Formats: sequence, structure tokens, C-alpha cells
Amino acid sequence: MIEYIWLVPLLPLIGFLLIAFNFKRFQGSVSGIIASSAIFVSFIISLIVFIEIYSSKQTATVQLFHWIKFNKIDISFSFLIDQLSTLMLMIITGVGFLIHVYSIGYMKGDSGFNRFFSYMNLFVFFMLLLVLGSNYLIMFIGWEGVGLCSYLLIGFWFKKHENNNAAKKAFIMNRIGDLGFLLGIFMLYYYFGTLNFNGIFFQAHMFTIGNPTITIITLLLFVGAIGKSAQIPLFTWLPDAMAGPTPVSALIHAATMVTAGIYMIARSNVLFVLSPITLLIIAIVGITTALLAGGIAIFQTDIKKVLAYSTVSQLGFMFLALGVGAFTGAMFHLTTHAFFKALLFLAAGSVIHALNGEQDIRKMGGLKNKIPITFFTFLIGTIAISGIPPFSGFFSKDMILIGAFEANSIFWIIAVIVSLMTTFYMFRLLYIVFWKRSNKEDLHAHESPKNMTIPLMILAVLSVLAGAFGIPLVFGGNDIIGNFLSPIFTESTNIIKINAHEISHNTELLLMFIPVIFVFVVVYLAYYVYVKQKKLPEADNQKRPFFSNIFFKKLYFDEIYNALFVKPALWLSDFLHNIIELKVIDRMVNQAGNLVVWTGKTIRYIQTGNVGFYLFAMVISIILILIFKLFI
Amino acid sequence: MNAIIALSALAILTMFFGVIQKKSVLLPLILSGLIIVFFLNVIEWGTFKHYYNEMFIADNFNIAFTAALILTTFLVFIFSALYYRTVKRPLEDIYALMLFSLIGGITMASFGNITMLFIGIETLSISFYILAGSKKFDVASNEAALKYFLTGTFATGFLLFGMALIYGVSGSFNLQAINSYIIANKESIPTLFYAGMILVFVGMAFKIAAVPFHFWAPDVYTGSPTLITAFMSTIGKVASIAAFYRLISITFLNVHDFSVDILMLFAIATIIVGNLSAMTQDNMKRMLAYSGISNSGYLLFAIIAMGPKSAGTLLYFSISYAIATITAFAVIMLVREERGTFSLQDYKGLAKQNPVEAFAMAVAMMSLAGIPPLAGFMAKYNIFSVAMNGGYVWLVIVGVIGSMISVFYYFKPIIYMYFHRADAHKKIETTKAYKIHILLVSILLIILGFLPGLVIGLL
Amino acid sequence: MDKNFIPEDYIPILVQSVVAFGFVAVTMLATHFITSKRKRIRTLHKDENFECGIEIKGNARFPFSIRYFLIAILFVLFDVEIIFFYPWAINFSEMEWMGFFEMLLFMFFLLFGFYYIYKKGAFDWKHDE
Repeated sequence: MIEYIWLVPLLPLIGFLLIAFNFKRFQGSVSGIIASSAIFVSFIISLIVFIEIYSSKQTATVQLFHWIKFNKIDISFSFLIDQLSTLMLMIITGVGFLIHVYSIGYMKGDSGFNRFFSYMNLFVFFMLLLVLGSNYLIMFIGWEGVGLCSYLLIGFWFKKHENNNAAKKAFIMNRIGDLGFLLGIFMLYYYFGTLNFNGIFFQAHMFTIGNPTITIITLLLFVGAIGKSAQIPLFTWLPDAMAGPTPVSALIHAATMVTAGIYMIARSNVLFVLSPITLLIIAIVGITTALLAGGIAIFQTDIKKVLAYSTVSQLGFMFLALGVGAFTGAMFHLTTHAFFKALLFLAAGSVIHALNGEQDIRKMGGLKNKIPITFFTFLIGTIAISGIPPFSGFFSKDMILIGAFEANSIFWIIAVIVSLMTTFYMFRLLYIVFWKRSNKEDLHAHESPKNMTIPLMILAVLSVLAGAFGIPLVFGGNDIIGNFLSPIFTESTNIIKINAHEISHNTELLLMFIPVIFVFVVVYLAYYVYVKQKKLPEADNQKRPFFSNIFFKKLYFDEIYNALFVKPALWLSDFLHNIIELKVIDRMVNQAGNLVVWTGKTIRYIQTGNVGFYLFAMVISIILILIFKLFI
Repeated sequence: MNAIIALSALAILTMFFGVIQKKSVLLPLILSGLIIVFFLNVIEWGTFKHYYNEMFIADNFNIAFTAALILTTFLVFIFSALYYRTVKRPLEDIYALMLFSLIGGITMASFGNITMLFIGIETLSISFYILAGSKKFDVASNEAALKYFLTGTFATGFLLFGMALIYGVSGSFNLQAINSYIIANKESIPTLFYAGMILVFVGMAFKIAAVPFHFWAPDVYTGSPTLITAFMSTIGKVASIAAFYRLISITFLNVHDFSVDILMLFAIATIIVGNLSAMTQDNMKRMLAYSGISNSGYLLFAIIAMGPKSAGTLLYFSISYAIATITAFAVIMLVREERGTFSLQDYKGLAKQNPVEAFAMAVAMMSLAGIPPLAGFMAKYNIFSVAMNGGYVWLVIVGVIGSMISVFYYFKPIIYMYFHRADAHKKIETTKAYKIHILLVSILLIILGFLPGLVIGLL
Repeated sequence: MDKNFIPEDYIPILVQSVVAFGFVAVTMLATHFITSKRKRIRTLHKDENFECGIEIKGNARFPFSIRYFLIAILFVLFDVEIIFFYPWAINFSEMEWMGFFEMLLFMFFLLFGFYYIYKKGAFDWKHDE
């Protein structure tokens, strides 16, 4: 089946083309069904490939065709199928399929229904390309493609001006990161002479640890990852991206696209371990982002914004894992996060759907009994993300925490704090949205249709069970995911482990249980504050305490960027436009254009239409050529 | 060789079926015949044979270009159904002439002897003369035929004179023999030989419509029936450039220093004049005629540089040029059928009414203009890089400037189609098959843009 | 061809052209001088045939039917094709049956051409488009 891997990205592409070309023709949910079934077949193929890879422990490169070939450059359009990419395939097609099915219900009746599904399929296509590509260029195509689709989908309801601004913001922020990524690719090509993963990683052995070239390359790649995965300082686009439809937030801004940065670094782990400085920077950026985003999340009042900051925070967590060399942990958390964050977003979408588009949590409450399925699945998602055993989040977070402890105990402490913050804001959200507050009249709400709730349930089951793949050795588990991914990471992990200290089993158990105890304390704290005291977040215009205000205002990141970059850039572009462009360049260009047009008009006249003249001109030309070539 | 024999049989069969008034079998017969010929041609891949005392050389170059020519003819025939839909009589004479000129073109890509080159050129040209005038009661068509004939025979005269001079000096018509003569007498080649070369080059330059021997092209292309224009501007050009390449690569490579100046003069003049004249045209057909002229200039790059990749790049450029031109002409035919003129004004708002056709036209125009990732871009890019590798920086600079100018006029129809409001035109009704064909051909252009390595690697 | 030509080799050509031009020039000049001025006046009777030939009927420059040229050109075409029989006839015995069949094939094409133009109405005198 591996040789048919090209079908996996092809099917969503066909789905996209099919819908795009019958844009006006498809009625009802036809396009949704086409899109979903395309992803579903892709998922089945991915599953078969995954099982093959899992059982045979082989990797394969499927070459489709030579793409660019001249001089020494030989870039082929080929796919790399190994443990890492198949794992990603499973997440993208699996979660993607569920979200597609969910969207059929969620987007029902929207005037852009067909457009929505064409974009979604296109997105999945590019995401699969990103993951499957066997060289950085294919990856870059996918990388840019998902950026494009993200832009299209954030601005999906383009009639609202803010949505367009959010889309532009996401696009521009990503562009900054992409520049870094692109420069990284250029440098890789310059130093390695190839862009193939295998070729580069093979040659990487020739570089010593701490080589400055590698450091610069990895830093540039990391800049790309920062943009795509919304880390400090380029994270501000992700919360704004919530302007798109909720399934988009679930698919793109929680489960798949934003994890591209993680995937890219995990894929390039061989390079990154050669540069301890980069790894340290990654860890610091990751943990800082996690901390700040967690802080902001606590003070948000929009249900999707809370989840968005939570995503930023969790992504920071994954970067921490990458930074400390716990690559398996990062990928494991990526997987479980994809499940429970998609679940949370979709459940949030279901809440919004139930309340006819209301997103402000201050206007919610007491939904527990009215939309029980949504509540129950949301609860499972909350428990999973909070890291309460035996839900999946516990195991994946634990893997990262252990990794952090092995590297540096300060990381561990901050990570635990972040993890507690996660618990707090998630339970805060849960209590405010679903628990009843007496002083409010009953909200009118209705449960979502089946095709929305069934994906929720499936995701809920996955959120509970996914942890089983990563039960650590201390619990008698056999760390399935670790073994599965080991061919990719072993080498790198060995390099990292030289510096790290082994920890004993007892320490490990201790490290596991301290956070769990605190988690329960925090859950109670949230219960006390938001259920017992019935405390509600203040209205927007109300004065807040200084500290809370800073976080509520998202640490003023947007304002700072505005003053630091946007305003000077606008001034500069004003100057360039008014003086350089209009007065200098335009005039030159216009004159050049006029000259060309004038010559064109003049030269036309030699075409007289008179055969005699033609023959005469030919003879004169021949004679002139003969004279000049033979006699002068 | 297979291809020539089979095609001759096909042409005679076509005439036969035409004469017994079986109109409906003609096109299916020709199309299936062309497919068979294509395969007959391709199965010879990799073999190197020569026939009749090296009159014919069947090598990979020949097979590749033959395949390209057959493909182009096939596409033209596909679109001929629409063009001639109002004609009642079987058009076997026109079809047979098209097939005969294809045979001429194939001969031009496979000659081993300059007399064979001459025969190929004549077979091609004489068919073209008649085809150009095949709209018997149209003055423009008659004028085109006569102009083409007059100037064409004139150029053929020079070509033949040049061949005679070369024969007179070297004592042979055989390409290899002439080459050996050049190698043996490198220092003492008489001037008359060079004069012969110049005259042969002039004849070839006329055939590919290189400036200053291009005068016939705009008038003939504008006057001829549109389908025939599409055919002439692709088959004629591809075959002639293949012949030119073959002539120089086998025979005149050792006196290339001498030829380079002339060829560069041709190329530069062609690009400048072709692009500048195309710019101010309001008539789509005439604009494409000039575009064909300017493309000859780019094609000459490969011959001037004569690098290891010249042949492959030439092939790729030829195919992408031919497909884009045919796509454009297919749409032009349609618009002209419905709206009566070739004026750009007729394309206003076409995108709204006929999105498929407009899309195909846009793809063709963008490919010709060299917008990535379409085939035209890859073709131009590769041909420039061939010239670059040969060290002809100035040539590339002229080429790039010409390309920039060309964007101006290639985008005009796109702007008219997509950004202008249609004034009084109705939607153009066509058959679904025609739409699909146009779409497929334009998609072929896109696909081709991703496979330059494959095509260039062939040769 | 290893022989190099020197200008002297072209003398015969020069002589021939001198003779050709000279003859024309001399005869024209001679007639100019030996005829008297008076006799150059044309009269009706002087242009008449004298004791031979057929009576003149009308002007020679009037439009023919295109079919006349068609027939003429077809005649030339087939006539020229027939010339191919001469070399074949000479080599008839050496080429044996193979040659015979090749000639048959050639004849077939020729006949097919004849059939084609016949069917196309090239010999149809009455029908005029």
C-alpha cells in the first residue's frame, strides 16, 4: 500500500477541485459529503500504511517524479514515509475527517457552505503535503499552502471587516516566520547541496556539536516554527484567528496546522541536537509562551479565545519538550493535544451553535443539563487537558515534565505551574459555561444534531484512551509510542542524554504525583471561586486590578507591536509611496513604457502589406549580411 | 521512417474516403491514424538507423520531434471539427494537405542530406501555400496564399542557391560528408562556401519567420483561415527549427564561430521587432502572429548556444509554444465564429460568460508570457539558462527585456476577459466536447510546467 | 572534390555569354540599320498572312477556361511521372520481381491520383462552379 501513498494527498485535492468547479451547482450537503468521504478514504489508506509501517518498522521514500533538475540541483517530488510522517497522517486524516463530518452540521445553511468545504479539503491536501514531503521544498509548499488556506478560512466570513483584519494579521505574522524558514532552507541548500531530509541528516554527522553554521540554520528554521506554531513573539495572530468558523479553529488552529512547527523541528531533530544553544532558546521561548499564554487565558471572556490561548500555551509546552530533547514527548503531546483540543473546540462550537452564535462566557451558564452530550464531552476534554490520570493528557504531559526535569529542574517547576494554570482556566471555563447561576434567567439552548455530537463522542473516547500509547515503564506500560518513534529520535536522544542525568523510578513517581495533587487542589479552587462564590468575570469596561488588567489586555502585545512596527512601517511606506514611488520610479517607468509603446507604433509601419517591399527588404538584408560577413 | 510511411498511407486513405463522400469517417480515421502513427514512431525510440544512403537519419532527436509534430497536428485536428462545422462537403483535400505538410515537417526533422531538407521544406511549404488559400472566396485568404507563395519561392530560391554553393565547394549533399570536408579543410574553406551557408541560413530564417525575413508572417497568418494559421504557426515553426538545429548541429558545428553573429543578429532583431510590433496590435490573430515571430527569437537561443541541453530545451520550448498557441487559437476561432471579428473588444467579459474558454485563454497567454509555473515559464527559463551556460549574457538580457514587453500584450486579452464588463455580447454556445478539449489542452500546459526535466532529459 | 578552380576555367562561360549577348546586339542593330524608315509603317495588309498559314481569328489574348490549364497541368504531371518508367525499363532485368512490384505500387498511386482527380471532377467540362 505504501506505493499508493500519493493517493492520500491526491484525494483531498480532487475533492477540492470537484467542489471548486461545481461551486454553484452543489446543493445541500453534497459538497460536505464529498469532502468528508475524500478525507475518509485518505484516512483508510493512511491507516493501512500506518499498520504496515508499524509492523514492518521499515521506512520508504516514494518518488513521484523529478521536479526541478538542472546543473546540480535535483529536487524530486517525493514522499517520505516513516514513523513520524505516518503518525502525523493519522492525526490529520483522522481528526480531519471527524471535523469535516462535524462541519456538515455546523455550517449547515451557511451561504458559503461549498466554499468552506473546498477550502477545508485544500487545507488538508497542503497539510498532507507538508507532512509527507521528503525534502524541505515540498514541506515548504505545504507550509505556504496551509498558510494560504488558514488565511482564506479565518477570513471566511469576509463581510465582517475584523475577520479580514484577523486573516491578514495571521498571514503577515506567518510571513515573518516563513522568511526565516526560507532563509534556513537556502542555507541548508548552500551548505549541504541538497534539500532531501535523508541527505541532509546523513551529512549532518560531519558537523560537530555547537557548530555555528548549524546554530544559525536551526535558529532560522525555528523562526519559521515560531510563526506557524504561534510562539512568542509571533503568537498574537492565533487568538485573532478565532474569527473563523469554529471547525476551522479546531482543525487548523488547534489540531494540525499550528503543530507544523513542532513537526518540522521533530523532523529535523538530527540538526537541532547539534546546536545546544538553539535547543535552549527553543525551551525558553516555549516555556515563556506557555506561561504567558496560560496567564492570559485565565482572564479571557470569549470561549474561543480561552481555548486559543490554551492552544498557544500547550504549543509552548511542546516546544519546551523539543528544547529539552524530549522529542517523543512532544510528538505524544501533539497527538493527545490534537484529540482533546479538537474535542474542546468542537464542543465549544456546539455550545456556540446551541446559543446561536454567542461566544461571551459571561452570558452563558447552566448549560449542563440542556446540552448533556456537549457538556459531557467538554468535561472529558477538560479533564484530559488538565492532566488528571488516567486520561491521555496526563501521560503526555508527564512525559514532557520528566524530560524537563532531566534537563533542568527550573523548567520543571515552571512547567508544573503552567500545567496548573491550564487546569485552572479550563475548569473556570467549564464551571462558568455549564454550571447554573441562580441570578440569571434560563438560557434557551438546544443540543446539536447527531452528525455533530458523534464526532464529539469519538474524540472524547480518543482523548481518554490515547494515553494508553504512552504509559511509562514505571507503571508497567511499555511506552508504545516511544518504541514506535525510536528509529527517528534514538540518535538524537542519545546525544542529549550524555549531558542529562538519569532519574530513578522513585523520583519519577514522585514527580508524577506532586502535580496531580496540586491539580486537584486547583480544581477545587476553581470550583470554590466560580461555583460556590458564583464569581463572574468583570464586564469589559469595568476597572480591573492592575495585574489582572495586564493579562486581560493580553500583555499589550498588540499595542506594543503597533507602536514598534506597524506605525513606523506605515510611515516608511507613506514616504516611499509619495516621494520615491510617485516622484521618481513612476516617472521613470512611465517614460520607459512610453518609449516602448512609441517604438512599437513606429515599427509597425515597416509592415506595409506590399509584397514588392517585402522582397526588396529581404534582398537588401541578404546583401547587407553577405557584405558584412564576407567582405568586411 | 515508420511515421512517414504510415502517414502517407493515412493521407491517401483520407483522400479516398473523401472522394467517396464518407464525411463522417474522416476525422475519426485521421485522429486514430495519428495515434497509431504516434506509437509507430515512439516504438523506434533508442534505435539509430539510417535509410537510403543516409538520406534519412532516424535517431532520438527525429523521433522526439516527430512525436511533438504529431501531437501538435492531433490537437489541431481536434479543434478542426468546430472550425469546419458549417462546411458540408468532406474536407479531404484540406486534411490530406495538412497530413502531407506534416510529412514534410517530419522529413525536415530527420534529413541526413540537404536535398532531403529541401524536399521536406518544399513538401511543407507547398502544402502551406494551398492551405493558406483554402478559403477560396475570401480575399484575405487569397492574398495570404499569394503573398506566402511569392515570398516563399523567393526564399526557397536563396536556400537552393546556398545548397548549390555548398555542394559546389564540398562536393557532397550529405551532412556528415560536408562536416568532414569542413574538418579537413578548416583553414582553407573558400568564401563561396560561407556565402552558401549564409544563403541557407537566410532560407531557414525565412521559414521560422526570423527578422528581417519575417515580413510574410503577419500578413499570411492574419489572412489564412484561423485553423490553418494555428497549424502553420506551430507545425511550420517546430519543423523548421528542428531542421535548423539539425543542420547546424551535424554539419556546421565546426564553423559555428562564423554562424553565431548571423544567428545572434536574427535572434536579437526577431525578439525586438516581434515583441514591439505585437504590442500595439488590436487584432488577436495578428498579435499571435507577432508572438510567433518573437518566439522564433527565443528558439534561436538554443541553436546559438549549442550546449549539451540545447536539443532537449528546444523540444520542450517547441511543445510548450505549440500547445499554448493552439489553445489560444482554439478560443480565438470560437470567439470569431460567434462575434465575427478578431478584435480584442470581443473578449470583453468573456470570463463571466464563458469561464472555461476564458480560463484556457488565460492559461495559454500566461504560458506564452512565461508566468510560472506554466510550461512557458519553464521553457523560457531553460532556454535562457542554456544561453547563459553558453556565455551569451547579452542575448539573455535582450530575451528578458523582450519577455517583459511581451507580458504587456499577452495580458491584454486577460484584462479584457476578466476585468472588463461585457457590453452587448451573448454567451458563446459550444459543445461540451469542445469545452473539455480546450480545458484539457490548457491543463496539459499546466502539467507540462511541472515536468520540464522529463522532456528536456529525453534528448 | 579536391580540384581547385582558377578564374581561367571560367573563360568558356565568358566566351559563351559574350557570344550570346553579342548576337542579340548585332542582329538588333543590323535590322535597325538595314531596314528603311518608311517600311516600318504598319498597314492592315502587311500584317496579313501571305500565301501560308491559317486566317487569324480574333485576339490571342482572351480568357480561357481554367479547366484548360487544369488539363494541361495534369497532362504535364502524368507525363513526368511516366518518365520514371525509363530508368526502370533499363534496369528491368536486374531488379526482377521486386522491381516489378514496386512499379506496380507506383502505378497504383498514379492510378489512385487519376481516380481522385476524376472523382473530383477535373475532367468534367460542362460543370462550372
